[in-house]
Amino acid sequence: MSIVEIDHLTVRAGSKVLVSDVSLDIEAGTWCTIIGPNGAGKTSLVETVAGLRKASSGSVRIDGTQLATMNERARARVVSLVPQHPEVPAGMTVKEYVSLGRSAYHGLLHAPSAQDRRIVESVFERLALEEFALRDVVTLSGGERQRMVLGRALAQSTMVIVLDEPITGLDMRHQMELLELLKTQVEECGLTVVATMHDLTLAGQFADRLVLLNRGGVVIDGPAGEVVRSGELAQCYGMTLRVVDVDGADVVVPVRS
Amino acid sequence: MPEANPPTSRRVAVVAILTLIGLCLAVVCGLAIGPTQIGTMRILGSVMSRVGIGHSTLDTLQSTIIWQLRAPRLVLGLLAGAMLSVAGGTYQGVFRNPLADPYLLGVAAGAGLGATFAIMDIGGGTYTPTWTPLMAFAGAMAAVAITWIIGGRGLRSNAATLILAGVAVSALLTSMQTFLQQQASAQSIARVYIWLLGSLASASWSSVDLVLPYVLVCTTICVVAGRALDVMSVGEDESRSLGVPVRRVRFIVIAASSLGTAAIVSAVGLIGFVGIIVPHIVRLLVGTSYRRILPISVAFGAAFLVFADTIARTVIAPSELPLGVVTALVGAPVFVLILSLRRRMVR
Repeated sequence: MSIVEIDHLTVRAGSKVLVSDVSLDIEAGTWCTIIGPNGAGKTSLVETVAGLRKASSGSVRIDGTQLATMNERARARVVSLVPQHPEVPAGMTVKEYVSLGRSAYHGLLHAPSAQDRRIVESVFERLALEEFALRDVVTLSGGERQRMVLGRALAQSTMVIVLDEPITGLDMRHQMELLELLKTQVEECGLTVVATMHDLTLAGQFADRLVLLNRGGVVIDGPAGEVVRSGELAQCYGMTLRVVDVDGADVVVPVRS
Repeated sequence: MPEANPPTSRRVAVVAILTLIGLCLAVVCGLAIGPTQIGTMRILGSVMSRVGIGHSTLDTLQSTIIWQLRAPRLVLGLLAGAMLSVAGGTYQGVFRNPLADPYLLGVAAGAGLGATFAIMDIGGGTYTPTWTPLMAFAGAMAAVAITWIIGGRGLRSNAATLILAGVAVSALLTSMQTFLQQQASAQSIARVYIWLLGSLASASWSSVDLVLPYVLVCTTICVVAGRALDVMSVGEDESRSLGVPVRRVRFIVIAASSLGTAAIVSAVGLIGFVGIIVPHIVRLLVGTSYRRILPISVAFGAAFLVFADTIARTVIAPSELPLGVVTALVGAPVFVLILSLRRRMVR
C-alpha cells in the first residue's frame, strides 16, 4: 500500500522550475532515497513532501490525504523532518529539544501529557540518548546532535519521516550508526523513510529503492542495485563510476578520467 | 554569549521568588519614598484599610500624597515596566534577535511623530495637549501597520523582512518628526524632548484606567505565547514541521506586543532600555526558555521600572531625572554584573 503518493508534482521558485512533473508512489514501511547531483531538485522535492514548500501543480498525498489541505498541526502528525542544517537553540536541554516533537499533540497552550512524556522516554531509550538528556544541545558532537534531531522527529510519531542529507558532516562511524538506527525504525516500527543522500554507496546499502533525480525530473527509479549499476547514474553526474561488489554490498567508486 | 548548563528548576524557582520579593520591595519604595516623609507602617496601614483591614492613620494631605500622587505613579510604573519587558522578550523570541526591543517595528518613531504633531500643531508648542497620548497611540499603531504592510503583510514575509521594514519606517517617521521639530520654537522642542525621554510624572488614575486593559490582555497573550516561542527557536521551517502555525503566532504576538507598547508609550512617553535589558537579565538568570523568561520578565520589569522611577524622582528632588536616562544608568551596570557572574560560572 502506498503511503506517500506524489502525483505529477511541479515546484517552481519564481520562473525557475525546481521539480518537474514528478510522480512517485512510496510503499509504507520502506526506505526511499532520492539521489542526484547538486541542483537536481532533491531538497525541493523532500521539502514539498514535508509540507514546507507548496506545489505549483500536482499533489502530494500522505496516507490518502492531500498535504495541501492539512494545517501545520495535522501535517506534523503524519510527516516529520530531519533538516539538512538543523537549528540547535543554545540553552535548551536535549530532553527539551526532543520533547518539541510532541508539540503537535499537546498544542501550544498546554504542557506535555503523561503519554507525551512516555513517548519521549521511549525515544531516548531507542536512540540511547539518556546520558545526554540534561546536556545543553550546543555541547553535543555532530553525531550526538544528529541523533538528537532524529529523536525529535521520531517523537512526532509520524508514519513518514523525511531526511534531507542526514549524514552530511558526520564521520564514517557516526554515518553508519545513524543509518542503522533509522533502518531499525523502518524494520521494527514500520516507519517510511524518504531521504536525500549524496553518498551513493550508503544510499544503495540502506534504501529499498533509489530515485535518481536530475534537473528536477526523475531519470531512473528502482531497486538500489539496479539504479547504482545503471548507465544513467554516471551520465547524470557527468563522470565515470565503477560499482564494486564488497561482500555482497555495492560500493560506488568514482574513477578519474 | 557563553552558555552554562541549562538552569535547574530549583534555580528558576529561587529567581522567581527573589523577583517577587524585589517587586514587593519596589511597591513599598514607590509608596514610601518621596519629599514628604511618611512612615512605611502608616502607609501599609492605609493600604490595609483600603481592603477593609484596620484603619488608616494618615491625615488628609498624606492620604492625598499617597493615593493621588504616589499610588497612580507606582501602578503606572508597574504596568509600563511589565509591558515593555514582556514585549521586548516576545520580540526577541519571535524575531530570534537578541537586539530586538518593543520599538523594533516603528512604535517609538510613530508615537514620537504623533506626540510631536500634537504638541506643535494642536498645542502650538506652548503646552502639551490632552490629545497627546491619543496622537502618540495612533502614530505608534499606524507605524506598525505600515511596517506590516511594507514587510509583505507579515504573514507571507519572513522575520528579517519585517525587521528591515521596521527600520525603514522608523527612519522615515523619525526624519518627519525632526523636520517638524526644526520648524518649531526652542520652547516647543524642549516639550517634545521631555516627552520623548519618558516620565511617570503626569501619572493619574485616569491614565492607569486607560492603559490597564491593554496591558492585562497583551501581557497575558505574550506570556501564554512562551511555549510557541520556545518551539520557534528552532527556526521557521522546523517550527512549521513541528506543527506551529508560525505566521499566525507571529501576527498574534506582534499585534499584542505592539498594542500594549503603544498604549504604554502614549501614557508615559518613550522609556528606553527596559524592553531590551530586562529580558536579557532574566535570560541570564533562568536560561533561554520563553516559558520562564516572559512571566519572570513581567515581575522583574515592573520592579525595575519602579526602582528606576524612585531614583529618577528623588536624587535631584524637587526636579526629576529623565526616566529613560535612569533605566540605562541602572540597567547597564546590572546587566554587566550579571553577565560577568555568569561567565565566571561557565568557567
